[in-house]
Amino acid sequence: MDYTIGKEQEMLRKSAREFFEKECPKDKVRELKSEPKAYDAKMWKKMVKLGFQGLIIPEAYGGMDGDFVELALFMEEVGRNIVPMPYYATIALCALPLIAYGNDEQKENYLPGIAEKGDIWTLARTEAQADNSPSEIQLSAVADGDEYLLNGTKIFVPYAHVANMMLVAGRTSEGDDPPKGITLFAVDPKSEGVKIEIIPTVARDGRCEVVFENVRVAQAAILGQIDRGWEILDEIQQQGALLKAAEMSGGAQAAFEITLNYTKERKQFDKPIGSYQGVQFRLVDMLTSLDSLKYLVYNGAWQVSVGEPSRLLNSSAKAKANEVYDDICHHGIYLHGAIGWTEEMDIGLYHLRTRSMIYDCGGTDLHLESIACELENDVPDFIKLYGPAS
Amino acid sequence: MEFKYGEKEEKLRTEIREFVKAEMPPHFIGKQFEDETSAEGWAFSMSMSKKLAEKGWLTMSWPEEFGGMGASHWERVVFSEEASYWGIPGLGMGISGTAWVGPSLMLFGTREQQEKYIPPIAAGEPDGIWCTGYSEPDAGSDMAAMQTTAIRDGDEYVINGQKVWTSCAHWARWLWLACRTNPDAPKKHQGLSLIIVDMQSEGLTVRPLENYVGGHVFNELFFKDLRVPVENLVGVENAGWSQLMTALSFERGTAVGTTAAARRMLDELVIYTKATGQIKQPQVRQKLAELAIDIQAARLMANEAVWKTVQGQTVIHEPSRDKANGDILQEKLGRIGSDIIGVYSQMDLGLEDNRWSRLKGAFEHLYHYNIGFAIAAGTTDTQRNIVGQFGLQLPRAY
Repeated sequence: MDYTIGKEQEMLRKSAREFFEKECPKDKVRELKSEPKAYDAKMWKKMVKLGFQGLIIPEAYGGMDGDFVELALFMEEVGRNIVPMPYYATIALCALPLIAYGNDEQKENYLPGIAEKGDIWTLARTEAQADNSPSEIQLSAVADGDEYLLNGTKIFVPYAHVANMMLVAGRTSEGDDPPKGITLFAVDPKSEGVKIEIIPTVARDGRCEVVFENVRVAQAAILGQIDRGWEILDEIQQQGALLKAAEMSGGAQAAFEITLNYTKERKQFDKPIGSYQGVQFRLVDMLTSLDSLKYLVYNGAWQVSVGEPSRLLNSSAKAKANEVYDDICHHGIYLHGAIGWTEEMDIGLYHLRTRSMIYDCGGTDLHLESIACELENDVPDFIKLYGPAS
Repeated sequence: MEFKYGEKEEKLRTEIREFVKAEMPPHFIGKQFEDETSAEGWAFSMSMSKKLAEKGWLTMSWPEEFGGMGASHWERVVFSEEASYWGIPGLGMGISGTAWVGPSLMLFGTREQQEKYIPPIAAGEPDGIWCTGYSEPDAGSDMAAMQTTAIRDGDEYVINGQKVWTSCAHWARWLWLACRTNPDAPKKHQGLSLIIVDMQSEGLTVRPLENYVGGHVFNELFFKDLRVPVENLVGVENAGWSQLMTALSFERGTAVGTTAAARRMLDELVIYTKATGQIKQPQVRQKLAELAIDIQAARLMANEAVWKTVQGQTVIHEPSRDKANGDILQEKLGRIGSDIIGVYSQMDLGLEDNRWSRLKGAFEHLYHYNIGFAIAAGTTDTQRNIVGQFGLQLPRAY
């Protein structure tokens, strides 16, 4: 049992923290709300130079060959500074499945572009049903000679309007079993028939509606195997849930620190409000929930890094993150008093992102159900030892 | 970073499970403190203490010269996890002896005291059963306000006063007593001492205090001109407060055990709801899932505190964080489990085999006893005060 953050991991964390503090102060975060791109292209390029986009990409494709724990630590820093950018969409939702399921040609074509040029990718997955289930995927992908014709609508796709490429989940065959018949395609958003419109979300964080009208894609664009795309989507969801939980953990830690410092400075009745037991008990419970989240994320990320991913931990981390991030922002604003409810203070910037992050790679109900399935299928230790009760 | 135990620890885990299979009734579910309420329960616990001592596990973290096996922190964690998951009784013979009397005597006791009192604890003997006298009617969370006195009279101390909430006093051979040896000391933290009292002494009255569900865990102790020889003083006269703080740090321990016990209860609930079909209900699934998350998180935090200790870091607020979190977890577990059992959760306690009791009455026990656990060893809110002051560096709020 070892909770040590290694030297290299610590260095990565430090350089990421310093970089984002310098390049993306909170005023920049505010500015980007009215910038249609919803990210800072100059900062994005600087990140390429530092190797951040290539963190998890193998050296053979221009990356740094980092492991999943390092990626999780990096996401914590992204969340800590609420950096608006297409990193999660590019890396968590696309680079990881490209590494795991891409053929040699696809990896050579796409991965160096991400690591060395900062290509932006995104995943077009969500449709009207919006429940992350297999039956949600209705976009039709019909074979037409050597090509496929895509027709359908994807919603809340992050950064589609600035993406160089996207992965699109479509239905290649119908049947009684919804997971069967889903296929993933790598599609250029500039293809004929693709229409992209920005959705006015509360954080103005570049969520898009993407309409596909007779969009033609080549067979070579299929990621993995035809009709077997659910396996990939499921893995994206598992790892993506963990990485989003890491981002939310970092964000919640920062929102908590801002609040804690404020309660030490703000005086009422001649004393810092943090000296009052009612305030203190709230803060203490917030600290405990933050520690819970942090270690669920680390444990889950470590499992992935040693090749023993745990669905139980992935879902635990995300369900916990959904609860904790919301709670910390809510209580954080509350503990600031009226000033916390204004645009002036940073705490509100964190809460603007709560609703979108909660649904990235699965809302709370979905993850609780996934945990329940694990519990139901597991044989507990006492049954292993004693056998079934009479 | 690594989230798994070493080979040595896993081997110990296997050995403990073999021991459980050989020595315990099948499907036994532990109920904390229940053994203290009946002669039958206590006899079973003491028989297990003896067997644990033979394995070397009763005081495994003690040095070999004191009858331990010098076990590492992580071996101790695995033992604590397993012992709590399987509900092995007799782990501490009333807790005091194994958890803080032994370790305190190793630090502050005379060689004579060490030779007389430590071996029976390590051997799991009835003579190794201890109780502890700290709390008084007017000295609860504010322990330094204690008023019981021990006044030197020649080669003896004469003790007068009252202690309360004394667990295990009805089974103990010895009392680990904190009292005031200098009533004229200028400050309340000064003039205190630790003294060993024979429970068979004249001048001692033990009155049982039944809890509201009919269990007998606590007692009241009354001292009237009780005389003990001066050699029963532990450490330095009037320097008891710092020794007491050291002893209390042994008591706070970790939340490893309560977390593992909670994991067993969750496992029981999963199997139970599969049998009744309730596991198909969405609200039941969600509650079980929430418990699984909280239990795993509590386990990770408890291990974080151990890891810091192993690293030589000072652990200040973490045990308090984990105690408060554990209290809240047990309350939630007790309530969810009782809701799942439904109408049968109104059964009286201690009725394992009654045809209306479910899961051997484990949730009836937890539901009512978790309130006591939340008060014992520093209430949930006292722990929050400590975390606020030392963990968050906020001004003292109490």
